[in-house]
Amino acid sequence: MATSFSSKRHSILPPISQAGPKPPIQFSSSITIADSALLTGSHTITIRTESVVHPRARLDSSGGRITIGRRCIIHERSLIGAAPGGGLPTTPSRTSSLLAPPREGVEEETAAGPAGVTLGDYVTVEVAASIEAGDTVVGEGTVLGVGARIGTGAVIGKHCTLTPHTIVAAGDVIPDFTVIYSNGTRRTDRRGVADLRNKGQARQIEVLRRMIPSNPAKFQ
Amino acid sequence: MSRRPPRGEYIETDTGNKVARKATLVGTQNIMLGGKTVIQPEVMIRGDLVRSVPSSSSSASAPGSNTAVAIGRYCFLSRGCCLRPPGRLYKGAFTYMPLRMGDHVFVGSQSVVQAASVGSHVHIGAKVVVGEFAIIKDYVRILDGSIVPPNMVIPSFSVVAGQPARVIGEVPEGGHEAFELRDLYKTVGNNPQPAAPS
Repeated sequence: MATSFSSKRHSILPPISQAGPKPPIQFSSSITIADSALLTGSHTITIRTESVVHPRARLDSSGGRITIGRRCIIHERSLIGAAPGGGLPTTPSRTSSLLAPPREGVEEETAAGPAGVTLGDYVTVEVAASIEAGDTVVGEGTVLGVGARIGTGAVIGKHCTLTPHTIVAAGDVIPDFTVIYSNGTRRTDRRGVADLRNKGQARQIEVLRRMIPSNPAKFQ
Repeated sequence: MSRRPPRGEYIETDTGNKVARKATLVGTQNIMLGGKTVIQPEVMIRGDLVRSVPSSSSSASAPGSNTAVAIGRYCFLSRGCCLRPPGRLYKGAFTYMPLRMGDHVFVGSQSVVQAASVGSHVHIGAKVVVGEFAIIKDYVRILDGSIVPPNMVIPSFSVVAGQPARVIGEVPEGGHEAFELRDLYKTVGNNPQPAAPS
């Protein structure tokens, strides 16, 4: 006896509570963003061409601007721009500058406010991964696994792979092509499949844009 | 104030499914529930990620072919877990494949399951990640915090743990009684019954 719910049952998809202010946005016309994605904060959220934001992904720009590159996939329940200091370890070398109050001189240079999170092109943020705000950078083609957590100010190189539940300390700098396992071991990916991975990502986005009903107008 | 009785936390269907009102089920028309399945609040099931490439052998529009997530009877999806169909490149095109789940499957809280198939009487602990296209056979116990790598095949009666997950033992003889979820099913819902003394 199989039961299928009709899509008319509204109670199945509970309404999302919009907490906090609506952020100013800068969307490319070709992005796919689900209706139930959550965008909050006061700084600008920029999403470049052909990126996909799944339902229930949360983008919080209260800690700084969020920039998402081309052909990124932000999966459900991920949190981009989390408040720093979520119990993550810190790298001593950069901690002092990070925990100090924001440098006002730098902030005035960029009229749009402090940089929160910057994702390069072809980045995949898997289910329930979280990235803390505070000039955090994720390089091109990097995959953040399920439930990975990136500390504030971390700089992750290009084409890295973070396996599920990996924790990257605040202020950590990770070179290109690194694979990080959740137990902390690292290795360098020498397979040279970066281009193939990017192609695969483009194919995946083609499919996703047909499946996810996009509603960028809602966030205007 | 309305005089109607307060709405329960769960929607109970004719086939005995108990679905929390606060569960997020996306693409409900592609989710099949076998009956007597409990879906707790904050569970997310991605039914919208359906197969986009028709399978080559069978006829193109077989009934029920676009099921994304199929769940058997007496399954228990704990608070905050997430089921999503696995996806991969297949013959040059990206497609999602259906996620099939047998009977008496327990999924712990905050777990993410992207398996191709999960057998019957499987216990998945809390904060477990089951990678894409993993195949989990019957009577398997996955301990808390395990990370099952993609494409892993877990044989029946295994106990699995670790990051990455490895088979660390097997279910002892007679231990399969513990996988029954009928009693657990009764303890949730709009008028839950206390757990039976064991």
